[in-house]
Amino acid sequence: MAAVSVEFTKVAKRFGTRTVLAAVSGALRPGSVLVVAGPNGAGKSTLLNLLAGVLRPSRGEVSHRRGGADLPRSEWCEHLGMASPDMAVYEELSALENLRFFGRLRGHATSDAAITALLETLGLPAREQRRAVGTYSSGMKQRVKLAQAVLHEPAVLLLDEPSSNLDAAGHDAVAGLVARFRPLAAVAVATNDPREIAWGDARLELAL
Amino acid sequence: MRASSLLSESLAVLGKELTSEVRSRVALNAIGLFGITTLVVVAYQIGPYQIQEKDRPYLLSALLWVILFFAATSGLARVFVKEEDAHTAKTLRLAARPLAVFAGKYLFNLILLAALFTLIVPLYCALMGYEVRGLAGLALVLAAGAVALSASSTIVAAIISRASGSTTLFAILSVPLVLPLLVMLIQGTRAAAGSVELAAVLPALQGIVSLGGALLIVSVFLFPVVWHE
Repeated sequence: MAAVSVEFTKVAKRFGTRTVLAAVSGALRPGSVLVVAGPNGAGKSTLLNLLAGVLRPSRGEVSHRRGGADLPRSEWCEHLGMASPDMAVYEELSALENLRFFGRLRGHATSDAAITALLETLGLPAREQRRAVGTYSSGMKQRVKLAQAVLHEPAVLLLDEPSSNLDAAGHDAVAGLVARFRPLAAVAVATNDPREIAWGDARLELAL
Repeated sequence: MRASSLLSESLAVLGKELTSEVRSRVALNAIGLFGITTLVVVAYQIGPYQIQEKDRPYLLSALLWVILFFAATSGLARVFVKEEDAHTAKTLRLAARPLAVFAGKYLFNLILLAALFTLIVPLYCALMGYEVRGLAGLALVLAAGAVALSASSTIVAAIISRASGSTTLFAILSVPLVLPLLVMLIQGTRAAAGSVELAAVLPALQGIVSLGGALLIVSVFLFPVVWHE
């Protein structure tokens, strides 16, 4: 796993005339978990999208760096794993087919056994993994989304409300995932859940 | 350096599209329903005997492409809109290179068009009494037309998916792009119907290939901007 960091300086985002995020600075560093907290509408998801490169900041700068050098966008996505409420996997495909597909896109040769093991770790039993995702409950879909985010062992992991729709066992599975990635990856978690806030080594509190 | 090749990624996208389509049949149903319905209406109202002999080469080639184009529009427009609607676009955007997404979707549209042509063209010829002398010429015109139409449909579908997915917008944006193409396709089809010589379709074919090639190249360069902005 390559050591990749993300630095953001005075990042602001406006949608039309509405300012969603105003001059926020910070960094994601390998080996630490940044918790992004704040009330609904404070811009937690927007900040994660800016860090992922899905959105461009209206002001300020987001830089993705590896070994002190800037990472080009084409390479950055290889190092990024992300799960958020506005992301989904394909409902016509099974969990196994979805992960095979995303693994192939990322050039990450993952065996079916490894995919099955990962999904089981996240609480999706093997017998459920060959059913179409469209027939899953919200919690089961969330588990597949999380598996998609970590399948390629990303150096940067962005999790937006990772325990949403999950039961207590699911929450524990996410906690295990964060603990597994904490030593080497740079992790950011956007949440208002006090249990998830406790995972953070650093905390960024956004205000309305 | 990325471990997967562009070809492998493109084929993965194509494979996903085909699997999803086989299971949902949304595009196939739209294209099939529109194509068959329009064909039956045209055949029932006009049929092989309502057109005067001197007008047949012109009208039959034009009617064929009207049916093919609008049937194709009903299915190909959704290739990116469905990703936005299902919230899979962001997941795909973060996992695949833009060119691989474009290539996979383009090939999928090409396969849909080939299926549409295979279904509608023989039925049209049978129902409308359309005798085509130059079958090889017609096959070449259809193949070149599919390549060009797939390019224009794929890039326009990508643009409209970023504009709240209006399929009306698809038609509006498509028309100026494909109008000259459709004119050449109609001319090529008319030439193929009238002559067994391949040389008869060459002028139209050259135009179709040139315009199709230009559309494809421009789309390849334009797509990453449309996909990421």
